[in-house]
Amino acid sequence: MTSQRKPAPSSPSDAVKLVRTYPRFTISQRWEHAILLLCIAILLVTGLPQKYNTASWSQAIITSPDRLASIQLIHHVTAVVLTALVFHHLGKACYLIARRKLPGDMLPTFQDIKDAWSMLLYLLFIKKQKPVFGKYNFEQKVTYWFLFFSIGVMLISGYTLWFPEVITRLLPGGVIPAAIMAHSTEAIVTAIFIVLWHFYHVHLERLNLSIFSGWLNETDMRTYHTLEYDQLVHQSHSNQDTGDLKS
Amino acid sequence: MKLSPIKVPYVFLIVGFIALVSLFWFTPARASEPAQQTEEYCLSCHSNPDLEMTLPGGEVLPLYISVEELNTSVHSPNGIECEACHTDITTYPHPPIDYQTSRELSRSYYAACQKCHPGNYTRTQDSMHAQVAEAGNLAAPICTDCHGSHYIHPPDQPRTLIPTTCGNCHTQEYSIYQSSVHGNALKQESNPDVPVCTTCHGVHNIQDPRTQQFRVNEPDLCASCHANQEMMNKYDLSGDVYDLYSLSWHGLDVSVYQARWPTIKHTSAICTDCHGIHDILQPDNPESSVNPKNLLVTCQKCHPGVSPNWTGAWTGHYKVSLQRTPFLFYVDSFYSIFTPLILWICGLYVALQFIRFTVDRVRRSL
Repeated sequence: MTSQRKPAPSSPSDAVKLVRTYPRFTISQRWEHAILLLCIAILLVTGLPQKYNTASWSQAIITSPDRLASIQLIHHVTAVVLTALVFHHLGKACYLIARRKLPGDMLPTFQDIKDAWSMLLYLLFIKKQKPVFGKYNFEQKVTYWFLFFSIGVMLISGYTLWFPEVITRLLPGGVIPAAIMAHSTEAIVTAIFIVLWHFYHVHLERLNLSIFSGWLNETDMRTYHTLEYDQLVHQSHSNQDTGDLKS
Repeated sequence: MKLSPIKVPYVFLIVGFIALVSLFWFTPARASEPAQQTEEYCLSCHSNPDLEMTLPGGEVLPLYISVEELNTSVHSPNGIECEACHTDITTYPHPPIDYQTSRELSRSYYAACQKCHPGNYTRTQDSMHAQVAEAGNLAAPICTDCHGSHYIHPPDQPRTLIPTTCGNCHTQEYSIYQSSVHGNALKQESNPDVPVCTTCHGVHNIQDPRTQQFRVNEPDLCASCHANQEMMNKYDLSGDVYDLYSLSWHGLDVSVYQARWPTIKHTSAICTDCHGIHDILQPDNPESSVNPKNLLVTCQKCHPGVSPNWTGAWTGHYKVSLQRTPFLFYVDSFYSIFTPLILWICGLYVALQFIRFTVDRVRRSL
C-alpha cells in the first residue's frame, strides 16, 4: 500500500500544506463504474417509457412506432454493453481467484451483520458510538450485492424477452410472462434502491467521488474507513524502516 | 196485411229516392281528380299478375303488386301509399320511363326514402356500400335491397332475419357464420344475445372491416358483450377475458396503437387473430383455432417455427394462479413482498441516518 501526497488545490496562505491521499479504486474499477452508471441510466431512460406507455411523459418520448423501434434498439445495444461489462467483471474475478489474488473486502461476513445491528442501535440513539468499518462497510456491500443480483435478474429476464422463441425451446412457456413481470418490476426496485440508498450515501451523507477520482483523503479515510486506515498506517510505519514509503 | 192502392206509389217513390241519393253520393267521389292517386286506383291495373313491361335495355320489368302482401307492409296500412315514393306518377297514362335497366330504376327510386328517413339515409351514404357504389359497382346495396321495396317489414323481426338479409349477397360469410358458435346459437335457439352481422358491422353506416382503424378497435367490439359479466354468467363464460387481455403483451401493444396510432399497422394479436372472425367456435370444440390441440398452429401464424412450449407463454385470459401459471405465480408473490420491503427498508434506514446525523451536527454546533 502506498499513499501519495498531493498539493492542496487552493490554500494561498499555506502553500506547502500537503494532503495525504489513499488509493481506493483501481482505474479498471473506475471505468467499470462509469460504464455501469451510463448503461443503467440509458436502460432506465429507454425502458421506463416502454413500461409506462400510457403516461403523457412517455408519449412525449415515444411519438411514433419508428421512435419506439429506435428506443428498443438503443435498449438492446446498451444491454449488450452491460452484458460485456458483467462478463468482464466476472472474468476478472475468476482470474483473480485462480491467481489467489482476489481481495475479499467485498465478500459479506458475519461482522457485517454485527455492524448493521450496531449501526441500527446507534441510529436509534441506543448506542452513543458509531461502529467503525474497514475498506467496505456493510452499506457499500449491500449496494454492491443488491445491484449484482438485480443486474443478474435484469439480464436473464431481458434476454428471455428478447429471444422468447429460443428460450421456449429449452424451458416451459410460463417463463416468458414470468420474465416480463420480473424485468418490469425488478427495474423499478433497482431504480428505487439506487435513488434512495446509493444516492443518499454518496451525495447527501457526504459527497463521495472516490469512484471517479480513485482516491480518498486522510480525513475521510479516518472517519469512514477507520479499520482500513489503522491498518494502512500500521503498515506504513513498519514499511518506513525499509524506506518504502515515497514521501 | 193488404196495402191500399194509394200507398203503393209511395213505396216506389221512397225506394227511388234512396236509389237516386245513393247514386248522387257515390258518383262525384269517383269523378274527382285526387282519387286517381290512391292505392286503389293504382291497383286497379297493378294487381294484374301478368302486368309487365320491357325496359329499353331489353329487361322485362314485372309490374304486379300483391294486394295481400302490400297490406302487411309497414307503409301501406299507415297511409303511406304509392304516390309517396312514385312521385313522378300521378295519373294514367304514366310518363315514359327512360331507365335502361331495372337496377338503374331502383337506384334512382331509393332516393325517395330520404324524405322520411333522412338520418339512416345519410348514414348509408357514409357506408362501405355507398363507397363501393361510387367506385362504380352498381350491385352495391341500396335501401330497398335490404328492406324491400313494396313489401317492407321490420328488418329485425325475427332477429334471425338479419343474417339472412346480409347473406343474400355475402353468401360465404353467411354460411361460415351459420356454423359458428354465434350463428349456431341464433339458428338453433334464436338466442337474443349472440351477435348478428349488424352487431359488429353496424347497421346503416357499415364500414370497411379490413381497415387498421377497425382492427385496432376490434377488441373493444368483442368486449361490448364479453366484458359484460351479467351476460357472460348466463353462458358460464369468463367476463374477465378482455381486462386480462388488456394487461397482456398483445393487449398492451394494441392499446398503445389504439390510443395513439390507430391508423398505423400493428402486428399484435387481436381477438379475431386467434379465435377467428365469422367462424368463431367454442374453445373446447376440436375444430376451434384456440383448442389446445390447434393452439400451436394458431400461434405459429404470427410466430413461425416456435416450439410446443410456446403456448404456455399465453396468459392473456387467465388470472395469475399456481395451477395454470406457476412461474408467474412465484414471481408475482416474490415481488409483492420484495418491492415494498426494499422500499421500506431503504426509506426507513436513510431516514434514520438522516435524523441521527442532523441531530449530531446540531449537537456539535451548540
